[in-house]
Amino acid sequence: MIADPDEELLRRVGQGDPAAIQAMVARKLPRMLALAQRMLGDPVEAEDVAQEAMIRAWRQAPRWTPGKARFDTWLHRVALNLCYDRLRRRREIVTDAPPERPDEGAAPDRGLLAADVGRRVEAALQKLPERQREAIVLCHYQELGNIEAASLLEISVEALESLLSRGRRGLRQALADLAPGAPHGAEGA
Amino acid sequence: MNRDRLIELADAHGADLRRWPDAERDAARALLEADPAARAALAQAAALDNLLAAAPRPVVSAELRDRVIASAAKAGLRPRARFHIGRLLWWSGAGWAAAACAGVVFGVGLTTHVTADVQADAVLYQASLAGVDDVEVLG
Repeated sequence: MIADPDEELLRRVGQGDPAAIQAMVARKLPRMLALAQRMLGDPVEAEDVAQEAMIRAWRQAPRWTPGKARFDTWLHRVALNLCYDRLRRRREIVTDAPPERPDEGAAPDRGLLAADVGRRVEAALQKLPERQREAIVLCHYQELGNIEAASLLEISVEALESLLSRGRRGLRQALADLAPGAPHGAEGA
Repeated sequence: MNRDRLIELADAHGADLRRWPDAERDAARALLEADPAARAALAQAAALDNLLAAAPRPVVSAELRDRVIASAAKAGLRPRARFHIGRLLWWSGAGWAAAACAGVVFGVGLTTHVTADVQADAVLYQASLAGVDDVEVLG
């Protein structure tokens, strides 16, 4: 039996309780939007994915069987699959060169604002290999546990740890100039 | 837990021990208290954590929120009529009591009617016979 903090709310959602539906939206929609945004790097597509994931949650709620899985894990699986579909479609569109995302680095004549640092981090995240990005997004940003994240990625916990290490190493290199002590380091970022 | 393992964990999970595997957290804490090099590895991981935290957090627009709430009704989620079991039981009990009363009234009426008919028939039969006392028929 798996303890699920969403179980009671989900039961009320399944009964069509309007207050429960609003509470579920407040609880899950920001998480799904963040997941999709960080996986896809596109706000419009991220909104579509988050909305579709919630629609599937509405359909599932009346027939949800408690104890088999955590609802949050199930919802992440749905949203991730929707992201995979879109990433696959992108790959199928034949292009001579992938679109280059702006990553200008630190301009020598201006200080780094928090928003600049945020954009740099976002761009560095999007440049990571897909599986490394997934691992970082699930564990760092979505704050899922190792076992849960490994299960979602259908890999072992050891393999997840390896993806996380390589992902963080890639990010550290991409953002080296922002590190404290670097010439254009982001103080207090 | 040794320093190498702690560095591996910091490389993978960052500096926040809450993200580390449950089984290794306590041992890591003990090592961090004892080993300055382990603490340095954690500080390096914390620097990257701080940068990652600067990534913008997407904000749910009011339009998206409203669309998603509206989609619940389209997906078939509507409040169901409240089912008051207590009220149903009360009406059910009252119904059974009324039916029982009606049955008793009907039964008494029917018995009286049939008994009267039988007695009338017996009297007529007795009247048609000679030498039979009414008391023998009617009791």
